Amino acid sequence: METGIRILLLTALLAALPGCASVRDWFHQRAERRAAEAQRTEPRESEPPQDESAPPRVIEPEVSRRKITVPRIRSSNVELGLNYGALSIEDFGTNPVYGITAGYHITEDFFFQAEAGRSRGGRTSFETLGGNIQLLTESERRFTYYDLSLGYNFLPGEAFIGRGIAMTNAFYLLGGIGGTDFAGDTKFTVNFGAGYRIVPADWLAVHVTVQDRVFQSSLLGTTKLTNNLEARIGTTVFF
Amino acid sequence: MAHSTSTTHSIPPSRSTECRADCIARLRQVALASLVLPALLLAPAARAREYLQVFVAQPYLELHTGPGRGYPVFHAVPRDAGVDVLFRRTEWFKVRTERGVEGWASQAEMLKTVLADGSPFVFSLGDRAGFTSHRGEMGLFAGAWGGANYVSGYASLSFNPQLALEGAVGQFLGRFSNGVTGDLGLTHVLVPEARASPFLMLGVGEVHTEPKATLVQATNRTESMAYVGGGVRIYLARRFFVRGEFKAHWILTKRNRNEEADEWKLGFAFFF
Repeated sequence: METGIRILLLTALLAALPGCASVRDWFHQRAERRAAEAQRTEPRESEPPQDESAPPRVIEPEVSRRKITVPRIRSSNVELGLNYGALSIEDFGTNPVYGITAGYHITEDFFFQAEAGRSRGGRTSFETLGGNIQLLTESERRFTYYDLSLGYNFLPGEAFIGRGIAMTNAFYLLGGIGGTDFAGDTKFTVNFGAGYRIVPADWLAVHVTVQDRVFQSSLLGTTKLTNNLEARIGTTVFF
Repeated sequence: MAHSTSTTHSIPPSRSTECRADCIARLRQVALASLVLPALLLAPAARAREYLQVFVAQPYLELHTGPGRGYPVFHAVPRDAGVDVLFRRTEWFKVRTERGVEGWASQAEMLKTVLADGSPFVFSLGDRAGFTSHRGEMGLFAGAWGGANYVSGYASLSFNPQLALEGAVGQFLGRFSNGVTGDLGLTHVLVPEARASPFLMLGVGEVHTEPKATLVQATNRTESMAYVGGGVRIYLARRFFVRGEFKAHWILTKRNRNEEADEWKLGFAFFF
């Protein structure tokens, strides 16, 4: 079946590629800009052609058109930051976690977020009770996660500190997918959570986020879905 | 101006001392730069920057306290007054009035303003026209890669509405092996102006496979691959669209037979 699909796709592609050659507006943005400029200078060029038989013009308009250059408007949609918190690894206790986040705000409501963080699994109760049993080596206890999430802002508003200071804020929901390196294996991980963002300055934000990272684990005999709850505080800078 | 005629030199420092002093000085410079640079980066927009000035053509321009419809309106700029456009965040513009009041104006309101010569203020909008013709795309997918769970992200740069250069990275997590993939190729959008527009892809890539330790031939390997694929992108609203695609990969192994792997994925993407 696969070979059939491959041949079909290749044929379709071969048929479509010559289409690219026929497309004239390569680098369309540049073409658009040129068109806009042409439009702006058009009135000057649209003077009627000087015909010898036509009567000479009495008044020559001497209007020098002001040419306005539009400075580029800076976009500030990217958010980069660091965070620190606590991660409860199912069966392995709660431990400090630190991480980095990178976000891109697409609309006022939605944003994409990439996250990576690191923590360390503690001892399970099985290990504690069993005396000298070591379930994992030291390097296997390292817990690293990374994910891509979609965020949705809701309940926007202002927070007041005293009489004179007001800061914009919002809650957000997060949901995404990624991977977790733990116990010598990488697991497909689904995450969801919620957070609160307060913005003291246009370029700075402070976040408090709670997230659950869910993956399948069969470390302790049976295969089960483990919930790994994380609470963290972080600061981000807008670029 | 008289030149110094002195011929006496201080004893030249030995090469190693000179180098050490030099290195230390350089290190100091680097340390200083690493402290100063972030401060410069973190500082709000440079003071000397020239901003675009637009004029209010509607009865008034409402300024919000934040970049969102939920943040309250705290100021109104009257008709014919000018505002400086400081920067943009999503669909909101941070502006400053002539009196120095700073606030956020929505994209819809800014569309009604004019430039100094009376021409309308135009900028890229996140709408259907933008979906047809844009500079770049980014998105994330979930799917399957040769039967394993697959997470992937992509970014693309458009040459024109129909042809784009596209790069994608992904990670597959399966029962028998885990691995990462990376590929680069060309995408041809067949009907860019349609709400649901099909596209075709052709490219090359690399795949790094880590078989699970319980299997016999458990050696990690990195192999080149080539792919051909197709899919469809469907415009949702504003800057968003759904994208579903299939890629047929040929993995060029060092063994006797090349392998084939199928990639199916569905995800969200946005254009800019």
